[in-house]
Amino acid sequence: MRLTPGPARDVDLTGVDLFDLDLYGSGDPHPLWDVMRARAPLFHQVLPDGREFWSVTRYEDVRRVLSDHREFTSERGTVPTHLGTDDPAAGVLMTSTDPPRHTEVRRPLGSKLTARAVRVWEERIRATVVRFLEPALDGAVFDLAEQALLLPALVTGPLLGIPEKDWEELVRLTAMVTAPSDPHFLLGSEAATLAISHHELLTYVRDWARTHRAAGQEDESLLHHLTSVRPGGEPLSDEEIALDGYSILLGANVTTPHTVSGTVEALMERPEQYAKAAADPTLVPNLVEEGLRWTSAACNFMRYAVDEVEIAGGTVPAGGAVVAWIGSGNRDASVFPDPHTFDITRDGAKRHGAFGFGPHFCIGAPLARMTLRVFFEELLARFESLEPAGEPQHLRSYFIAGLTHLPLTGKKRRTTP
Amino acid sequence: MGSLGQEIAELWGEHLGREVGVEDDFFTIGGNSLSGIKIIEQVTEQYGVTLSVRDFYLAQTPARVAELIEQGRTGA
Repeated sequence: MRLTPGPARDVDLTGVDLFDLDLYGSGDPHPLWDVMRARAPLFHQVLPDGREFWSVTRYEDVRRVLSDHREFTSERGTVPTHLGTDDPAAGVLMTSTDPPRHTEVRRPLGSKLTARAVRVWEERIRATVVRFLEPALDGAVFDLAEQALLLPALVTGPLLGIPEKDWEELVRLTAMVTAPSDPHFLLGSEAATLAISHHELLTYVRDWARTHRAAGQEDESLLHHLTSVRPGGEPLSDEEIALDGYSILLGANVTTPHTVSGTVEALMERPEQYAKAAADPTLVPNLVEEGLRWTSAACNFMRYAVDEVEIAGGTVPAGGAVVAWIGSGNRDASVFPDPHTFDITRDGAKRHGAFGFGPHFCIGAPLARMTLRVFFEELLARFESLEPAGEPQHLRSYFIAGLTHLPLTGKKRRTTP
Repeated sequence: MGSLGQEIAELWGEHLGREVGVEDDFFTIGGNSLSGIKIIEQVTEQYGVTLSVRDFYLAQTPARVAELIEQGRTGA
């Protein structure tokens, strides 16, 4: 999807299909969401197969749906790709579990991922980022979106405890999960593609944990931590370890690359913003927040209404699926004035919902923020300017807003610090 | 062969908590990766054949999974 929308247009919302993959692969959903926020903040849609869902697009409604588990439960699934099929991992997989069990499991895991805890990784991540950018320094065409797909693996691999040789396959499998109908990945049917990639990822983590346990290994890795925590006094089962490990892999792999490439695209379109950040590196943390708001890589999450509920001027029936469009909420003018202006000095950029809200707020956010900050510090220090070197291409997914190709050339600074 | 298909259908039935026919489609009757992991493990235990993950999900019916097991047994 285009992150810088085309001209505002008057859209007739009748018959609009928010699950139309072309809208995200080659289209421009922002003007559509603009109209929805203004005129249909609760938008009901019935798919051709009869499944139905309600969309909220305003910032406050997105926040409410994602935060309040009493009104909107996660226990029937949270990814709209699975709309209408109850999540078989409910109550086991952390993202599909409501408090209080959720809190019990999340707390010990989160302790390894606080801003303070991840700080020890900063210099290692910096060295990784420097190596990552090296091939672009000789002025050859560098496809940032393609390369960035490997970045989370390079950064989080050692932290998770996953050997380098396995990463390429794991990155491919997580990409399959996010775009199962993409011709690059499709095996038989979309359902089969999803099941194959889920199966491989789950058994990878489960076997990692079993081998690790059998060998009596102890280390500082996050996966080891998963095998040793005792939420509520009991260790996690193999199934819980597999599911939460899978969830962490997915969270790291499928979002960060798109925030990197989407933010770089925005900076290439606005060389004055690039120059401003390069001249004053203290602006980088806010540049990162604006980039997170702008790209909103996790475009939405889903919840189910527990009881009949009034929201956004309408009513969702008990059991109704509600999709909270984070990408739209992050462009809500009542919270972000001139929302379609990319401004690295924006006040309050950090209020964005790119990491979600409430109990399921992204557990990896401190690590993602640090990685993005280091990435842009090093990028700005090394390149005087960046130029597009071909048409960007977008991911055909209504769940993950992302780029698949972003060819560019960089002009190296004469003096690197 | 027919009876092996029937056995596989029963095995699926235990994991999916419903009656399964030999030509039923795995995904239509509520199969997913969590039940798939358990079913493939049990096939290995009971029949001594390790099914490829990909082949299993693409086979999609008990009858065709039975064929995979036959092939695995004859080493084809």
